[in-house]
Amino acid sequence: MAKIDEVKAMVEAGKTKLVPGLVQEALDEGSAAKDILQGMVDSMSVVGDKFSTGEIFVPEMLMAAKAMAKGVDVLKPLMAGDSSNSLGTCIIGTVAGDLHDIGKNLVSMMIESAGFTMVDLGVDVPADRWIDAIKENQNVTLVACSGLLTTTMPALKEAVQTIKGSGLPGFKVIVGGAPVTQEFATEIGADGFAPDAGSAAVKAVELVKA
Amino acid sequence: MLTKRQNLVEVIKGGNPDRFVKQYEAFAMILKTPITRLKPPVGGEIKNEWGVTLRWPEGQLGSFPVHDQDHKVVKDITKWRETVKAPNLIYPDAAWEEAKADVAKIDRNEQFATIFVAPGIFEHLHYLMGMEDALMNFYEEPEAMHELIDYLVDFELRLAKEFIDHLHPDALFHHDDWGSQKNSFLSPDMFKEFILPAYKKVYGYYKANGVELIVHHSDSYGANLVPFMIEMGIDIWQGVMTTNNTPELVKKYGSQITFMGDIDSGVIDYPGWTRENIAQHVERACRNNGKLYFIPGASQGLGVSSFPGVYEATNEEIDRMSKIMF
Repeated sequence: MAKIDEVKAMVEAGKTKLVPGLVQEALDEGSAAKDILQGMVDSMSVVGDKFSTGEIFVPEMLMAAKAMAKGVDVLKPLMAGDSSNSLGTCIIGTVAGDLHDIGKNLVSMMIESAGFTMVDLGVDVPADRWIDAIKENQNVTLVACSGLLTTTMPALKEAVQTIKGSGLPGFKVIVGGAPVTQEFATEIGADGFAPDAGSAAVKAVELVKA
Repeated sequence: MLTKRQNLVEVIKGGNPDRFVKQYEAFAMILKTPITRLKPPVGGEIKNEWGVTLRWPEGQLGSFPVHDQDHKVVKDITKWRETVKAPNLIYPDAAWEEAKADVAKIDRNEQFATIFVAPGIFEHLHYLMGMEDALMNFYEEPEAMHELIDYLVDFELRLAKEFIDHLHPDALFHHDDWGSQKNSFLSPDMFKEFILPAYKKVYGYYKANGVELIVHHSDSYGANLVPFMIEMGIDIWQGVMTTNNTPELVKKYGSQITFMGDIDSGVIDYPGWTRENIAQHVERACRNNGKLYFIPGASQGLGVSSFPGVYEATNEEIDRMSKIMF
């Protein structure tokens, strides 16, 4: 098995301790850093699909994301300044009044795995804070707003409408969370919606490449 | 006409109920005792008796733990003994007087005197260290997780003893969310290894000490965990969401466990809710699940709603379906 294939298999299996060594071995064998990175992105796409279909569960997804992060740590010094694989910056958070962060964190990991630089605003993010974050960061291509509760649906609407109404250019807005549907996302003016973390990464790439 | 309690018993035993059970009507919740877990005020924040920071945002239905690095109680699971200290559960009799007086007012022919416990063991792990750490620690530090779970089980057993000794409840309503709306958080194998043995001890203790009914709240997908729920002694799984295919569960497991819910709170309880929408969901749930081993209701974990009027309207629609189907 080629070393990159081993990296891919071990990322998919969530082997956090093995991946860094395998990434180094792949580099030593002459593989390019960007190819190894692409291999891990492909693995996380498989992981996302398996999560969406219920074949794997949250711990397995978290372990895979952690394994990839360990592999990326090895590649980072070699890829500094190389933005060819970057899809830009994604600002993410849960909207005002919502402290539930597991879904948001899973989506953050998956979107990061797809090639975005993440800026996580955390939980309970007021509408104005989103605008500040878009202004404070460079190359923002995506804003991801999460709301788990029906009681925070008005806050999700306010966040999306404030962001879209700001007149700031260059990014798309994606929303998600248990009570959120495609219909609601459309109604409040979001550009995209995803029902789970795996499909959020797919949708994120689709939105910024559109 | 059967009392609320008798009617519920007929439903869960597969007997002859004379109407649908209306959500929580058969449970008189005991929510105020000296050892009931602390909650922050609406709009406020507290550090609870375990050292967990809980925040309750204005306008929301409940509190939630805060898990940035500064606020995690367990930062390193291998050192959990240094930071996790169970709170005192022993109070003088005088401290129980108010709770005893409240319980004495419950008509036990009409309702189950129901002790309320939340969070449960899985949620407690999450409260202490955050969800991601908890879930990854099952893989990375299983021994330490087993030890911490044993510690939490010991606490739950001592908690149960105090409740039983002082209040003699008929039922337990125990919260522990085990999944998202689409899947369980843990795989069945992982659940079987870590969570099942813990709950067999806790629920076994309640049953062995006179508590007749175990009601477990998990407003999530959990169809893949139902055999374990039965094994640990749950009588009613409250919060069953439609994603579980509840009618199929009723058909498959109904004689062993009753399903309460099948009306997702998110689809009936939202800003701008309508009576017509509630009526439609109640009717679908009642017709699809039938009269036995099923209690129609919103998936929410207490007899309340997020938006005023939804709980009451749901009850009225269940009454309507009782008139049609009984």
